[in-house]
Amino acid sequence: MESSRIADCCSPQLNQPCQVACPIHQNARGYLAAIAQGEFEQALRIIMEANPLPSICGTICAHPCEDKCRRGKVDKPLSIRALKRFAVEQGRGAIELARPKARREQKVAIVGSGPAGLVAAHDLALMGYHVTIFEKAETPGGALGLYIPLYRLPRDTIRQDIKNIEALGVEIKTGKELGKDFTIDQLQQQGYKSVLLSLGLPVSRSLPIPGIDHKDVLLALPFLSAVNNGKIRLDPTKVVLVIGSGNVAMDVARSAVRCGAGKVRVVCLEAKDEMPAFPWEIEEALEEGVEMQCCSLGPKQVIVNGNQIAGLNCKKVVSVFDAQKCFNPSYDETVLSDIEGNMIILSIGQAGDTSCLNGSGVKLNQRGQLVYDSNSLATSREGVFACGELISGPGTAVQAMYSGRRAALSIAKFLSGEEFKLEPFEPLPDLASGVIEKVKRLERNSVPILPVEKRINNVQHVEIGYSLEVARKEARRCLNCGVGARRLEEKCIDCLTCVRVCPYEVPVVTPEGAVDIRFDQCQACGICVGECPARAIAFNMPEVEDVLLQVESAMKGVKVAGGGPVICFVCSYGAASWRKLPGFLKGIPPQVGLVSVPCVAKLSVSHFIKPFELGAQAVVVAACEAADCPHEKGILFAQKRVDSAKQLLSQAGLDGRLEWVSFPSGDFSRFHQALSQRQQ
Amino acid sequence: MIKAEQKPMDQIRKMIADYPKVLIVGCGTCVTICFAGGEREVADLASLLRLKDRQQGGQKQFLETTVKRVCEREFIDQLVPKQAEVDAILSLSCAIGVQYLAERFPKLPVLPGLNTSFLGLIEERWQWNEVCVACGDCILHLTGGICPIARCAKGLFNGPCGGSVGGKCEISPEIPCAWQKIYDRMASLGQLHKLEEIQPVRNWVSNQAAGPRRTVKEALKISGK
Amino acid sequence: MKAGTKLEKVLTSGQFAVTAEAGPPKGTSGQMVQKKGEQLKSCCDGINVTDNQTAIVRMSSLAGCVLLKQAGVEPIMQMVCRDRNRIAIQSDVLGAVALGIGNILCLSGDHQKFGNHPTAKNVFDLDSIQLIQALKTMRDEHKFLCGEAISGDVPLFIGAAENPFADPFEFRVIRLSKKVKAGADFIQTQAIYDVDKFARWMDMVRDRGLDNQVHILAGVIPVRAVGMARYMKENVPGVYVPDQIIKRMEGTKSGKEEGLKIAVELIQQIREIKGVHGIHIMAVGWEDAVPQIVERAGLLPRPAV
Repeated sequence: MESSRIADCCSPQLNQPCQVACPIHQNARGYLAAIAQGEFEQALRIIMEANPLPSICGTICAHPCEDKCRRGKVDKPLSIRALKRFAVEQGRGAIELARPKARREQKVAIVGSGPAGLVAAHDLALMGYHVTIFEKAETPGGALGLYIPLYRLPRDTIRQDIKNIEALGVEIKTGKELGKDFTIDQLQQQGYKSVLLSLGLPVSRSLPIPGIDHKDVLLALPFLSAVNNGKIRLDPTKVVLVIGSGNVAMDVARSAVRCGAGKVRVVCLEAKDEMPAFPWEIEEALEEGVEMQCCSLGPKQVIVNGNQIAGLNCKKVVSVFDAQKCFNPSYDETVLSDIEGNMIILSIGQAGDTSCLNGSGVKLNQRGQLVYDSNSLATSREGVFACGELISGPGTAVQAMYSGRRAALSIAKFLSGEEFKLEPFEPLPDLASGVIEKVKRLERNSVPILPVEKRINNVQHVEIGYSLEVARKEARRCLNCGVGARRLEEKCIDCLTCVRVCPYEVPVVTPEGAVDIRFDQCQACGICVGECPARAIAFNMPEVEDVLLQVESAMKGVKVAGGGPVICFVCSYGAASWRKLPGFLKGIPPQVGLVSVPCVAKLSVSHFIKPFELGAQAVVVAACEAADCPHEKGILFAQKRVDSAKQLLSQAGLDGRLEWVSFPSGDFSRFHQALSQRQQ
Repeated sequence: MIKAEQKPMDQIRKMIADYPKVLIVGCGTCVTICFAGGEREVADLASLLRLKDRQQGGQKQFLETTVKRVCEREFIDQLVPKQAEVDAILSLSCAIGVQYLAERFPKLPVLPGLNTSFLGLIEERWQWNEVCVACGDCILHLTGGICPIARCAKGLFNGPCGGSVGGKCEISPEIPCAWQKIYDRMASLGQLHKLEEIQPVRNWVSNQAAGPRRTVKEALKISGK
Repeated sequence: MKAGTKLEKVLTSGQFAVTAEAGPPKGTSGQMVQKKGEQLKSCCDGINVTDNQTAIVRMSSLAGCVLLKQAGVEPIMQMVCRDRNRIAIQSDVLGAVALGIGNILCLSGDHQKFGNHPTAKNVFDLDSIQLIQALKTMRDEHKFLCGEAISGDVPLFIGAAENPFADPFEFRVIRLSKKVKAGADFIQTQAIYDVDKFARWMDMVRDRGLDNQVHILAGVIPVRAVGMARYMKENVPGVYVPDQIIKRMEGTKSGKEEGLKIAVELIQQIREIKGVHGIHIMAVGWEDAVPQIVERAGLLPRPAV
C-alpha cells in the first residue's frame, strides 16, 4: 500500500477534525483505517510519520482528537488513543524507522529531554543536524519519567521511544544540569551553533499559609518523583489530604493509595463538576477509593497538634473564576470547616525555574519568565531558542511536542536559511443532523483496565489494552470523514442515481439543478460509486486501490492445476483483516486469489464479470453479514449487483460460477469451508 | 426520456458473427440513465462477448468507447479515426443513434445492441413506465395530464372499456387503467363534467402512421452552415 | 322506424325483448351458423353474431349475419374497433345494409392479448363511442366521416354494450349517457349475477332519464358447470361472478339444471327492475339452453311484429 500523506482529504483546505485538533496533526483517520483492515504495521508507519513518541502518546496522550471526533455527535467518539497504543504494540519492531537525510555539519544542543526536547531532537536529527540533549536527571524523559506515575506510563514505554530517537544519532547526556555543569557560553565554545531550552515546569507551587512548613506537608512533583523511585511507604494510619483537583492531583492521590495510605482525600477550590482533571482520571481515582467530597474549599491554615498534622482548616469558596473567566477565587471567610488528615500534599500547579539562565544573556521579564519571540521562539540571545511548557505554561505532552517541532523548524531556518510555512489546518464542518440520525449506532468499545482490587496496591500499568478482535471492531467505527465520494463534473449527467441510493442522503440537488455530493458529510460507504451509471464518482480513500489491477495481480500469483483461478473478493474489514491471525491463510485452497476491498459495497457489476474475461473459472464474493457492517445498505446493494452479474453471466453460459457467501465477523472457518466447497 | 433495453446476448452474437473486429459504442445520455447502454454496460458486454468468443476458439476483437450523445454529429466525430480499424459498429445507443451512425459511416455495418422501447418516466430508480407515444397532437389538457393513447391499452378517447376492474387494465393487473386514473384526476381537479363531452374521431395525420415526420424551424435556418 | 328491424319493433312497441348470441365457427361452415339460428329462431327477437370475440379469429360477423338472414333469422351484427380502421368500418356498414342487415352493435373489443393472435397489431382508429357517432352520421346525415355524401339510405338500429360492474362504477352511467348522446338506440349489458348492484346502476340510469332515451337489455350468461363459472371469473374481462354462484354450482349434482335455474331466477329478478326493456342471453356453446330459459322465464311466445 502506498504510504498516506499527512493530510488525505477531498479538499485541500479542510481536514478531519481529529487531525486538526491534534497539535502535531496526526492522520488519525489513516491509522484507524489501517487497524480496521488488519494492517497494523501500516498503522504504525502512519503514526510515526508525524509522531516520534508513539508509545508514549499511545499510553498517556490527552487525546484532544477524541474530543473533536465527529462520531461523538452520533454516539461516542473513537477510542483513538488506545488504538494508537494497539498499533504500536502490534507493529513495533516490524517497521523500518526513518533515516536522516544528508548529514549537515552544524551541532545543536537541547537542554531538557521531555517531550518537547525529544521531538525537537528527532526532527533536527532527521534533517541531518548533529543533536545532543543535556538532561539534568539520571534518566531521560523529563516530566514523563520523573512525575507521571508508573501505573499510567511504564518506564519501558518511555525507553522504547527514546531508543528510536537515539538510533537517529541523537546523543543524550544525563546528569548534566544547565547553570551547574555547563553554561550556554560553554556550549557555544564547544561548537554548538544553536541551543534549545526545553526546561519545562519543574517547580511545585506552594501556599503561603500558616503551618505549610511542617515536614508532613509535601509538594506534588517531589512526591511523585520519589514514588516513582520506590522511596515512599505509607501506612494505613495515614490520612492524606491532596490539595488540588487537576491531573497531577489525581496522580498524587492515586499514588498515595498505592503507597499504602489508609485514606486519601482530595481538597479543592473547584466544585465537583468544575474539577479540571480528565473525567476518566477522576473516575478511576474514585474507583480506587479516593474521596472527593471536600470541594469548594480553600486552605486557610494547617492544623498542627503537637508535632503531628491534625488536619486542614478551610474557608468556603464562593467562586473560582471571576466575571472575566480568570482564575480569581473568592471566599466566604465566615464559613470555616476542618478536614481531618495527618499528611498534606500540595498539587496546585507548577512553575518554571529560570535561575539557571542567570548571566547567560537570555533575557527574563520582571516575573522571571523567559522573553521570547512568539513566531520564531527565539530568545534574546542569538541562536538560543525555547519551547515547551517553559514558555507556554502548563499543557499536555502532545502540545509540548508540537512546540518542540516548531522550534526545530525555527532552528533549521536559523542555521540553514530554510524557510518553512506552517500550513493552517481547518476542520471539516459538523455533520448535519439529517446525516447523524442515519448513521448506524455502534457502541464504543472501552479499553479494558485492571479491576480495582488488582491495581490499588501496586504500580502495574492499569490499562490492559485492546485485543485484536476488539481493536478492529473499535477502529471500524471511524466515519472516515472527508475521504469519501467525489463527483467528477465532466462525466456527471445529473441522473440523480447517487441522490436516490445514498443511505445517508449526502448527495443533494442544488438550487441550480446540479448534484452536489457533500464530501464533508459523506460516510465513505462507496455505494454510489458502484451505482453511478456514468462512472462519474471517484473515491478518495487512499486504501481503495484499483480493483481491476488487484484482480490481475491476484490471478498472476495463483497456482492452478486446471480450470483457471478462483477470484475471491473479501471485505478488508471482515475476512481480510484476519490475515494476521494464524491459520487464516493456510485454510485457503491454492487456486484462490484473494482481492480485498474495504467493504464489498465498493464493487460494481463489472468487477464480477471482468475476472471471467481474464480467465478466472469462478468468482466468490465473501462479505460480512449485514449486522456486522456499519453500512448495512451496502451489503444489500452488493447482493443486487451480484444477482445482476449472475444474469449477465447466464446469458454467456456461465451459470453457477459466481457465488455470494457471507458469514459473521471472526468466523473464518465458514470462509474456508465455502472456498474449499468451490473446489468441487 | 427514451428508454431502451439491451438485446439478449444470443441475438447480439448472431449479429456480429461475421465481423472479426467490432467497436462497441455506448451513449452517455438516455441509455446511461436507464442503465442500458452506458459506459458500464459497454464494458460488461465487451467482457462477456470476448469470453464467449474465446470459449469457441474465436479471435474476435472488441473495442469499447462511450460518447456523450450518439445523436450529435460532433460527438461521433471522435469515432471517425476508428472506422478504418473495425469491421462493424455495435451501438448501445437508442435507435436514433444507430441510424445516425449508419448514415455517418455508410461503409460500415452499424448494428443495434439495444431495443429502443418507449418514451417513459422514471417511476422508481428501477422502474420506467411508458407515458407518451409521440402522437404529435397532445390532448393532455383534456385528460388531466394522463395520456389515454399511450397508457390505455386500446387508446380509447371516451372513457374506459368494460374490462377495467379495480383500477387495473384488463390485460394485466400490473397496468393501471389509464381511464380510472384520468377519472380520479379529473375528479380531484373538479372537472369531471369535461369527461361527459364526446371526443370526436381523431385526426391521426400528426401521428407516425401518417408517414415519417419532420420538423423544420425556418427561423433557425441560415444557408451556408 | 330507424331500421324497421324486428328488434326495433318489439322494443318501440314497449314489449320485453329477448336477444341471444351465436358464435360463428373457427372455420368455413355456414351450415353451423344457420343451425344455431334455427335453434334460437322462435325464442329471440334478434341474434348477435360476435365479431372475433376475445380476439379469437372466427368467421366474420357480417358473413354470419348474412347466413342467418338467409335462414330467416334476424341478425344483430357486432363491430369491434380493434381490428378495422374507419375506412374498413364504413365500408362494411355499407355492405351490411346492402345485404339487409339492420342491427349493428358497436364495441371496443377485447384486447388481442386474450386471443389466438396476440402478436397482431391492433387498430383502434375509433373507440366505441366514436363508432356509434359514425354510424349515426351515416344514417341520419347520409354522410361519411370525411363529410362526403353517401348515396342511398343507411337504415340502422344502433346498439352498444355497457358493463355496469366495471370501474369506475360512478363513471359507468356517464359513459352510457355519452353513448346515448352519440346515438345508441339500444344497449346490451355484460352478464349480470349481482342483481342488487345492477339495480343500483339502473337507479342512476333512471335518474338521468336515460331509460327513456335508450332501450336497455340486461345480459345473462347461464352457467353450465362450476368450472365454467370459475373460468369466467378468472379469465374473461369484465365479467364479475360472485362466490355465491360458484358455491351453488359446487353444491349441485346436476350443473346444467342448476345453471338453468339460476338463469331463470336472474331473469325474473331483472324483470322487476324499472327501465329494463329486455334481456340478452349469451349461452355461448350451449345454445339449446336458450329456448328452455326463455320458456321457463315465461317469455314465450315471442311477440309477432
